[in-house]
Amino acid sequence: MAPTLVNVAAGVLIGLALLGAAVDRRSLLVVALAAAVPDLDAVLSLAIQGATNAVFHTLLLPGVAFVVLYWDTRCRERSWLATRYGWYGVRVAWVALGSYVVAGIGLDLFRPEGVNLLYPLHDRFYAVVGRLLLSTQDGLILTFVERGETPLWLTSPGTTADHHVATWVNPTPGTGLETGVERRLTLVESGWQLVVVAAAIGATAARFRLERTDEDEQDPGVKTETDGEH
Amino acid sequence: MPSTIVHAGFALLLAAGLLKGAFDRRALAVLLVIVVIPEADTIAGLWLDGAHRALLHNLTIPIVGGLLLYWDTSYRERSWLRDRWGWWGVRVAWVGLFVHVFAHVLLDYAHLEGINAFYPIVDRFVRLEGELALSTTEGIVQTFVDVDLDVGVASEDGTDGIAADVGVTGTTADTHVDNPVEPSTAVEDDADGPVERLFPVAESGWQLYLVLSGLFVLVARRFQDRRERDDR
Repeated sequence: MAPTLVNVAAGVLIGLALLGAAVDRRSLLVVALAAAVPDLDAVLSLAIQGATNAVFHTLLLPGVAFVVLYWDTRCRERSWLATRYGWYGVRVAWVALGSYVVAGIGLDLFRPEGVNLLYPLHDRFYAVVGRLLLSTQDGLILTFVERGETPLWLTSPGTTADHHVATWVNPTPGTGLETGVERRLTLVESGWQLVVVAAAIGATAARFRLERTDEDEQDPGVKTETDGEH
Repeated sequence: MPSTIVHAGFALLLAAGLLKGAFDRRALAVLLVIVVIPEADTIAGLWLDGAHRALLHNLTIPIVGGLLLYWDTSYRERSWLRDRWGWWGVRVAWVGLFVHVFAHVLLDYAHLEGINAFYPIVDRFVRLEGELALSTTEGIVQTFVDVDLDVGVASEDGTDGIAADVGVTGTTADTHVDNPVEPSTAVEDDADGPVERLFPVAESGWQLYLVLSGLFVLVARRFQDRRERDDR
């Protein structure tokens, strides 16, 4: 599990990039929360063996959400979401789903602890770790992909039975609330993560400043984006 | 350096959130040039010792550039930039500055030997490394900057007061940051044989992630635009 703060920062950046004319304090908060929600499975790990990075980090959950959202906004004659919240609601829902997958699950997938991508259908953690570079001596070096016994060609640290992702909620393997152990809530783990967090803060400040000044000035971008869907 | 591709991916993610109406192919091309240009100091490194990560990877250029941009767009009676390229030019210039600082200079600040932050005024490479955590036994743990609070006590090297270790790694004279144009092995060994040059695309999972999230945003934006055209 990456520090939740970094998940949120990535979610905010995705929100700023994709919300378009729907950017305001409320929509950005929804998208940021969507990036943080997957990390709540750490709490479930107190009751369910190996639930961290599995129960809410499975792609099945956003998969179902995608189908429901697609059916409601594209297939139905009258979309419930569009009737209730209009264009704004549809846009925020799609971007929040994207934020859940890319910033919530995706960021954790690219770390050694891995993510249980298809839990509970297929109980195995996968991690995209390695390197990709071109060498003048050895040609292409690619270690992200690894052909092994697992169905997906990725590094796998284990299953829910034998792989525990330590969090401040549940620092030790197994279930149950333990006392007397050190709990560590990591906010930022390394330099690049601090840069991502700083960039998210800077970009948010800059964007809200733009939203204010663009109301006075002529910004063609504001007008072309206000209608349409998705 | 994290590869130029990683910088470009992160730059794309940031730019998509800030360009607003100026998000078009031309603006992205300008930003790509802004992301690539600083890497030219690897070539300068062939003649000038320690030029890579110093000559163009510093905060002096963006500070001076930012002041100039502010003076031109907000202070002057007639802005040269606005006259020439209009509203679009001003927006792209500011976003370019933001992207250069966050997606290039600061990302390199957290990698290998870091950057020469205030070159040429102060010749010091600094590197950002550490963590920030809350621990039940240790309280707030912060290792990015080591602050030594010996106020009033003269330390061994004669400096008294607060000494802060901000991650200084050296000067242009003794620091070389590995890069494909001048690999560290070639600099150190003076070997005559063929030198292995490594051109990284992504050296770790998170670097690949930044590249992919940039691409994700680009694809999602195209998808949104298409849908909006269809609906009209």
